Amino acid sequence: MTSKFWFLTKQSLNKKIKTKWFLIANILLAVVIVGLLNIDSVISFFGGDFSSDVEIVLLDETKQTEDIFKNSLLLAEESFDLEHEMILELFSKSQKELEEELKESNKVGIVLEEDEDNYLKARIISNEKIDTMSYQVLVQALNTSKTQVAMKEANIAPEELQKITSNILIDRLILDDNAKSEDEATAMIMGTVFPTLILPFFMLVIFLVQMIGTEINEEKSTRSMEIIISNVSPKTHFFSKVLASNAFVLFQGVLLILYSGIGLLIKNSMQVDSSSQITDSISSIWDSLGQAGIIDRLPMILAATLILMILSFIAYSLIAGILASMTVNMEDFQQIQTPIMMICLLGYYLAIMAGMFDGSILIRVLSYVPFLSCLLAPALLVVGEIGVIDIGVSILLLCLLIYLMTKYGLKIYKVGILNYSTDKMWKRLWKAARSKG
Amino acid sequence: MLEIKNISKSYGTHLAVDQLSFEVKKGEIFGLLGENGAGKTTTFRIIMGLLEPNSGTVTLDGKKIDYSVTDTIGFVTEERSLLTKLTVKDQLVYYGILKGMSEEVILKRLDEWLEKFGISEYKNRKIKELSKGNQQKIQFIAGIINNPKLLILDEPFSGLDPINVKMFQEAILELKEKGCSIIFSSHQMEHIELFCEKLVILVKGKVVLSGYLKDIKKEYRKKNIFIQGDISIEKIKKVPGVLDVISTAKEYQVKIENDKIVDSVFQAISKNKITKFVVEEASLNEIFIEKVGESYDK
Repeated sequence: MTSKFWFLTKQSLNKKIKTKWFLIANILLAVVIVGLLNIDSVISFFGGDFSSDVEIVLLDETKQTEDIFKNSLLLAEESFDLEHEMILELFSKSQKELEEELKESNKVGIVLEEDEDNYLKARIISNEKIDTMSYQVLVQALNTSKTQVAMKEANIAPEELQKITSNILIDRLILDDNAKSEDEATAMIMGTVFPTLILPFFMLVIFLVQMIGTEINEEKSTRSMEIIISNVSPKTHFFSKVLASNAFVLFQGVLLILYSGIGLLIKNSMQVDSSSQITDSISSIWDSLGQAGIIDRLPMILAATLILMILSFIAYSLIAGILASMTVNMEDFQQIQTPIMMICLLGYYLAIMAGMFDGSILIRVLSYVPFLSCLLAPALLVVGEIGVIDIGVSILLLCLLIYLMTKYGLKIYKVGILNYSTDKMWKRLWKAARSKG
Repeated sequence: MLEIKNISKSYGTHLAVDQLSFEVKKGEIFGLLGENGAGKTTTFRIIMGLLEPNSGTVTLDGKKIDYSVTDTIGFVTEERSLLTKLTVKDQLVYYGILKGMSEEVILKRLDEWLEKFGISEYKNRKIKELSKGNQQKIQFIAGIINNPKLLILDEPFSGLDPINVKMFQEAILELKEKGCSIIFSSHQMEHIELFCEKLVILVKGKVVLSGYLKDIKKEYRKKNIFIQGDISIEKIKKVPGVLDVISTAKEYQVKIENDKIVDSVFQAISKNKITKFVVEEASLNEIFIEKVGESYDK
């Protein structure tokens, strides 16, 4: 029976991996992941100016605002934390000549003119649209310039003017090490847990549920299930499916990591010669982890997350297998798997928004709930909302659920896989659960 | 030897099989007859261990049928139980390994059977590309590739043309010669008559007739007289003991209560020009229809 178990597992795994679908899906995944990680290069390759600097041509008809504008622009750039630079050059010819020059270029022209009522007025000229962020920087720089011109005209000393116009010095002190602001926490989740855990896990759960459902349905709808179950026990069959589907998602997970690695390698190799200002993804994740002060706790977090993920994969495959056994075709399965997908989706969104539930007991309790915990708990752990004990509770509850599903679910599975009744699905499920098995 | 003792199975309030008992000896072919929903498939599933009976026992050579003996049983289901995306070879290897066979032996036997059925060229074809008849052959091969001790055939001839039916018959008889015990169900009574030494007729899960075919026919008193010639149907119908007269394109079939009526019928038509007058036992089909009908009337 053991050899039959391994044979079924191998067959099931081969059926998934040795297919054109798997090859095509992985080629697409690889292209998408590598492409996303190198999106700046991709955009540049197709003629985009994702990371290129904005050149500004300044025509100062007031003859005295040039320096003020230069300083204001620097301040505005700083406050917007622009990823590209704004290069300022002066233009001394007429406005008409400026317009002529801008016609054939991507440069942005700024014309500063005196205004009797409002001290200063400006005109922004460009051949094409300006990106929103650059436009906002320019508007802020112009407003600041106007204020400075006004204060200068009001005879405020340059030193005083400097003090007035300089940004306020903010020294932020957070007394509770674990307490972070909502934005910081969300940024941290999006910067660390989302790309490395939440998104891949969500994708893999979908693969897992679909795989197990499709296979069981195929065997049921072709009636080969009767031949298979007359030779191997439903238990052997069930666990071979669970093992194969988990092995598949782990393999797929490794492939996703590999594609990300390739993507980062390509990015690094291209950055050697490029002047791109986008920071390396790994460094970015590492920086976020450093800011969160969790690098020291990283081994523990990784271990807990890995255990949670593996247990959750097992739980998802068990529930998908049990439910699939009660269905008679793929339509039935699509219907019955909807609640699983909804739970997974809920976990996905809760995990993304975890930072917003500062100190909420509800979110802490939800992080214990099996099927949600694998998505939610790592996110909350990273933002310091929960600790090791909470993770322990989540793992314990998952183990309990797996035990219960193995014990009672197998009973349903035994009855379900040979049941072709046309009764309503939930009625069938109820009957199977109540059967002696 | 397969021994079934007093098995009963119910689904909720519906009694699918009621106190069924029979035995199939080594090298014997046994027929399980019954209309749709009579309990044949449930019985097969119980024998295969796919269903647990509410009561009764099933043993093969004195041993309860479980996964330690299923490797020696062959099962051909009524519906095609094939993974249609697989090739013929992969499908047979798949089922063969589940029967505990080695791949080498499977492939050797597969080649032999494919050749016997004249479909060697389909070995590497996907099952979904084959005709229904050829798919049925593949399913049959899957059921017998392990040289079973016990072979269960649930409607094995459905959808087959006469040439393929003959091929299957030869294969079944060959297995019988090798000592395989065979149970099969069929709606077509001529197949049962051709093969089965023993049979059971089930109606709503209950046995309404069982025993050796020759004894059943012998005990069934009604006979048929087949007549060719110029006769008056009305005149024959008036003979006491004549149940019915059916006119076909080439002859008349006269149904009589028992063989004592034969002389009276012959007397009634003796003055006519007669080219054929043959007395035959009732067909299994007639016995089946009558027994099933009686049970429904009850």
